[in-house]
Amino acid sequence: MVFMGRWSEERVINAAPDASSLAAARKLARPGPWSDSGSNDTLVWGKCQGSGKTPYQVSVDVVAPAYRCSCPSRKFPCKHALALLLLWARGEAAEAGTETADFAQEWAAQRADRATAKERRDSGKPADPEAQAKRLAARLDLMDAGIADFALWLTDVIRTGLAAARKQPYPWWDAVAARLVDAQLPGLAEQVRQMASDIHGRTDWADHLLMNIGRWWALTKAWSQKDGLAPGEFADLKAAVGWATPSAEVQDTESMPGPWLVLGAHRSDDGRIQQQRTWLRSPEGTVVVVLDFAAQGQGLATPQLSGALLDATVARYPGSAPQRAMFTSAIASRGVVTTLGSGDSITEALLHESAAVAASPWRVRHPVLLGNVTVSPDGSGWILDSDGRALPLVDAPLDSLLALTGGHAVDIFGELEDGHVRPLAVVVNEMVVTP
Amino acid sequence: MKWTDELRTAALVGTGRHDAPAPPVELGARPAAASSREESLLDQAALVDVVRRASRTAASVGAGLRVPPAPTDTEPQATGEAARLLELLLRQPPVGLDLRNQLLVDWLRSAAQARRRVPHRLLPALFAVAENTSSVFRVLDPAIGTRGRWLQDVSTAGLAHSEPRRSVHEADEAAPASPALDTFTIARQQLSTEWNSLSARARASHLKRLGYELHDEDEGLLEKGLDDKAKSVREVAIALLDRLPRSARAGRMAARLLPLLQVKGLLNKRFDIDLPEDPDAAALRDGIPSAPRSGEPDRLARLDTIILGAPLDVWTSVSGRSPEATAALLKEEPRVLALLTTAATSRNHLEWVRALLTVRTDARLLHCLPADERELWLERHIRAGTEEPDDLASLLRDLPQPWGPALAGAVLGVISGKEGTRLASMLFDVLPTALPPEAAEECRRLLERTDDPARRRVLRDAVQYQSFRQSLTEAFR
Repeated sequence: MVFMGRWSEERVINAAPDASSLAAARKLARPGPWSDSGSNDTLVWGKCQGSGKTPYQVSVDVVAPAYRCSCPSRKFPCKHALALLLLWARGEAAEAGTETADFAQEWAAQRADRATAKERRDSGKPADPEAQAKRLAARLDLMDAGIADFALWLTDVIRTGLAAARKQPYPWWDAVAARLVDAQLPGLAEQVRQMASDIHGRTDWADHLLMNIGRWWALTKAWSQKDGLAPGEFADLKAAVGWATPSAEVQDTESMPGPWLVLGAHRSDDGRIQQQRTWLRSPEGTVVVVLDFAAQGQGLATPQLSGALLDATVARYPGSAPQRAMFTSAIASRGVVTTLGSGDSITEALLHESAAVAASPWRVRHPVLLGNVTVSPDGSGWILDSDGRALPLVDAPLDSLLALTGGHAVDIFGELEDGHVRPLAVVVNEMVVTP
Repeated sequence: MKWTDELRTAALVGTGRHDAPAPPVELGARPAAASSREESLLDQAALVDVVRRASRTAASVGAGLRVPPAPTDTEPQATGEAARLLELLLRQPPVGLDLRNQLLVDWLRSAAQARRRVPHRLLPALFAVAENTSSVFRVLDPAIGTRGRWLQDVSTAGLAHSEPRRSVHEADEAAPASPALDTFTIARQQLSTEWNSLSARARASHLKRLGYELHDEDEGLLEKGLDDKAKSVREVAIALLDRLPRSARAGRMAARLLPLLQVKGLLNKRFDIDLPEDPDAAALRDGIPSAPRSGEPDRLARLDTIILGAPLDVWTSVSGRSPEATAALLKEEPRVLALLTTAATSRNHLEWVRALLTVRTDARLLHCLPADERELWLERHIRAGTEEPDDLASLLRDLPQPWGPALAGAVLGVISGKEGTRLASMLFDVLPTALPPEAAEECRRLLERTDDPARRRVLRDAVQYQSFRQSLTEAFR
């Protein structure tokens, strides 16, 4: 079943690539400039009179969100598409029942054709296995060389000392990262670039750098023994160096049925890439994380509401638990829950994290549902459990947490990272809320 | 030294100058055979990394970490439309910031009246506004409820703990700054006991302080001030004694003024005012200017001093009429009227204030009137069309809000008239909140009729504000 119906205004707002597009869309979101608007189960369309003679033709696929507008804007979706959706969300235009406009129909047909063609291509004759093996071997050679080069750099760094490394300018780190990218190791490259800023931004830079150098070194060692690794272990290693698994490969694996409970979600934006992590739990208790990425100025996938039960199937990427996953069906909401279930104490949560690190030493983030914990306003905030244990908060809207919980014991879902908790959802008064 | 400390030291200076330590045997790690110093240190760094992350323990709760939880709220939270309106004001205000803040004040007041409180999740955003807006800060309680007060107490971020500094705009509404009551008492005491030991500047400033709360009993100190050797002190004493019509100096001034006044004319009655003679020593002491070393003495200035110092009753006793009729006799004497205005307003003599308002307009006179009377007076004058927009705007700004429907109708009449643009732009920040709900319909009608941007702006703001207010009223019904 495809559950969509009319979008809420909030959902339209979230689809906006940036605040200025949204502001421009708000100005256009009045019936005046619009004509020939309409909607059906999948499409919303309309014509918007701009400064030119011909009105812009706007079509939006609201099921698998896609946008088309004849305007020259590089923003995506553009202000016209957003304005049309705003009007539609408010019920002020694009009422259902009218005949689908030609331009919208045509666009939908083109999209459908392209999708079929792609499917045919994908399901068609497999590529030449010999050529494929050759490409893989070439890639592995390149990566092997890159890893060997990186290991050599690590020994150089440790010979001259971390204090000397800290004095190096940013281009020195960037050069190393660039070599890693050339060797098809973008995950490692990203970590090295991040370190260039971390060592100047953190007070515990020496320990931080030493731990990371240790982890990178372990990674080079693991790579050299990759042929002896179990498939799951190799998958974790691949993810750590940034070797992407094609989503088509994941799609072909077994899908897990729902309903999936949204435990919490986190959005971040480092100025170049926006990332969204959505943590889900199956009825059996399997926890997975769906990752979405979007370049600057592009819209991220629609965020899921914490506490929502989703009817959807999910396929998991290879690797150790909690695995990365992707939706393999349309997503339909089944309503919201009143509790996330019983949570762990802080000590139990840390034990689970230890087990996950033992299974995959590259893991830096672990989902955790803490039960019966209170929020303390000291410093940047703490979470305290009934056993008298405490964990510091990170990236936490402390005032919001305090306002919501009032210092009473609640369940909190969050991410353990570097000994801190990043709270993503709080259960108060039988409601799951995002702080 | 711990193993990890040794490892850090070696890593910091580099294995070129420092050996890698041996890994602790209890971890079961054995150095790989024939590995270099660098490899040994890197191996151990990898070990530390994974050991640390796999064996994390939580801190124990210190005594200072726990805070007592918030007591249960006594009022139910605002729900439905009321909560939605508050969220809208906080997250996506549909109006400008000044109006938004006023609407927040309205929301908080309505909630307090309806015995509803702010939903917990919106408290931080509300406090963020209140931190910079004292008008919102002042009405936070009781609508923020028990949780809000608790949050103000426990939050380390200083969430709206204390009233923010008033903005320039808000300062207009605030009462004029006056020293604390204690300073009057101290000033009075010091003047009574230490007059001679105080510097001239201190004597003058202490006397000035008395002016904030002047009593008949202060006459003694002021008389002493008339004898002071410093001119600055004498001037302060004179100005303050002008405000005491029952004082001995006022009596002396009355005696000087009385012989100068006469009512003349049979049909067209008017005051005939003589100029005073050269002052004697007593008059000089009372502040009447002496003759200059050269040139003609300024006899008009002497008359001014006498008029300012004499009780207003002198005029009615000479005319034998009421203050209003007496003021009418002085229509042709603008200089005298200005002096009488100063005297009436500084002494807050309401009967004379009303009388003088029949012959002249002066903001000082209006300020003395009670608010409702002031509003009525303004309305009549607006309708008569005698005021300039500049004067009118400043008078209207000072009125308490909301105005009555009659005054609102009169102002809207001016705004929609030929010269209305100027008044509209001058009142753009006041009008939306000053107009009463009854005026909303008229604003809507005028908005449809006008193309002038200044008028459209102020009318649109007024319409938006009123319609939001209306939604608020309904939401809390």
